Amino acid sequence: MAVAEAGATPDRAPWLGPRASVWLLGFVGALLALVAWTLLSQWLATGGGVINRLPPPTKVARELWRYATGDLWRDLAFSLRVFVIGWLVGAASATVCGLLLGRVAWAGRVFLPVVEAIRPVSSIAWVPLSVVWFGFGLTSKVFLVALAVFLVVIVYAVDGSRRVPSDLARTATMLGMNGWQRFRSLILPGTLTEVLIGSRVALMAGWGTVIVAELVAADSGLGAHLIAVQQSYDVPAVMATMACFGIAGFLMNALFSTLERRLVPWRHDSADVAQ
Amino acid sequence: MIGFLHKRVLLPAAGVLIVLAIWEATVVFYKLPPIVLPSPWAVMATLAGLVGTYAFWRDVAVSLYEFVAGYAIGVVLGIAVGLLIGEWRLFRLTATPVVESLRFIVPFAWIPLTILWFGTSFTGKIVLVAYAVFFVMVVSTARAIAHVEPTLTRVGTMLGMGPWRLALRVHLRAAAPTLASAARAAAAIGWIAVVAAEYIGASAGLGLMITNAATSLATAVVIAGMIVIGLIGAGVSALIGWLARRRFDDR
Repeated sequence: MAVAEAGATPDRAPWLGPRASVWLLGFVGALLALVAWTLLSQWLATGGGVINRLPPPTKVARELWRYATGDLWRDLAFSLRVFVIGWLVGAASATVCGLLLGRVAWAGRVFLPVVEAIRPVSSIAWVPLSVVWFGFGLTSKVFLVALAVFLVVIVYAVDGSRRVPSDLARTATMLGMNGWQRFRSLILPGTLTEVLIGSRVALMAGWGTVIVAELVAADSGLGAHLIAVQQSYDVPAVMATMACFGIAGFLMNALFSTLERRLVPWRHDSADVAQ
Repeated sequence: MIGFLHKRVLLPAAGVLIVLAIWEATVVFYKLPPIVLPSPWAVMATLAGLVGTYAFWRDVAVSLYEFVAGYAIGVVLGIAVGLLIGEWRLFRLTATPVVESLRFIVPFAWIPLTILWFGTSFTGKIVLVAYAVFFVMVVSTARAIAHVEPTLTRVGTMLGMGPWRLALRVHLRAAAPTLASAARAAAAIGWIAVVAAEYIGASAGLGLMITNAATSLATAVVIAGMIVIGLIGAGVSALIGWLARRRFDDR
């Protein structure tokens, strides 16, 4: 055992000091990518290849700045509102359904196969139907996001409601807990832990659904802006809006990862299975 | 045997029947017009009718072609770059910021740009699927390589393997089961990226089929299309799972 651990230490010694080399090389990599992008855009502009619309990074940055000092915040607020409402509705209904299907044996056997049959139909495939049902407004997008989050979180909720550690269950019996007490202090906390992790995993699915829903039913939000600038062939603005989507997704993920590390530190590492 | 039949066949069948009955009852009770919600029978009849048409199979073939081409490119490039990131520290440190910042731009956000660049052609969707699959594979390959049992590396080194043979013969093989499950997850994402791209700009494909049906309020066709999309998605995922199991069961 000791031998294995000695051998597992990093084999290549960094030549700059670990921190500095990470930052420096990362900076060099980003710089190289930007230089390559600039050169590529110039080569394509002079009639190089099939793509004749690749703006240089400076142009995209300028467009990003213009958007950030203008309509970005209004559009972002629209998209985030859809996302947050849908996410809360989806996670809450998945918790309730998960507890029911996980703890009531016959309900689980009867209805879990139905859930499993619906799960492969991604929420994205529901977009046209949702437009038929709810139109182009807020309801339709909230429905889609809630569905996306539900389909991910339900799996975690069922799992969490079933996975009660046996020593805790025996302790509860020994303490003479009744059904309600067991539910409150044993089953519910375990389920909510898994729901929290599932909600983090569902973050990107939900955010992706917001994008597609807004692209198709384009009346407001970042996605609608993206379609609008696309239809005016404004490539720098398209790329700037994409960057906004990326930054927003990154910030949400970082926020939730921090939250998860604080609230359920013992479960943090195993959470990245399904992206 | 009876218990198995009861638990695995009868109860799930009961569940499906209950859901279909609730669906049918809702349609009948509220007298919903087929534009809002067609009855399950109408959907099945529509599906049966679609299966007999040439246009339906052309849409299926177009979507599948775009998916398979993009998926193959994305998996191969993704594993290659992921392997480089996992094995070569210098490359890992330089590439990480670029990979990490692109990773958060979900593939769907690329759809309008691929349309500007490639029009409504197949190429745009192939690029999109490749992009979606690529990032899933890069991240999981790099992670799997980093978690390869260090004993294996030492055994390989002891046997006189150089870094290339170590990477290809030992690390990649040790990581293969993880890569198989990543490939499965990537297939689900890639398939749905095709459908989403076809909503916004396409000349054929299942996504276009159901948006067109939605525009003309042919709701039965929309639901039938969703079922087909779900079946193909599940089928692709099962196929990759089956291939992986056949390959790695002996471990």
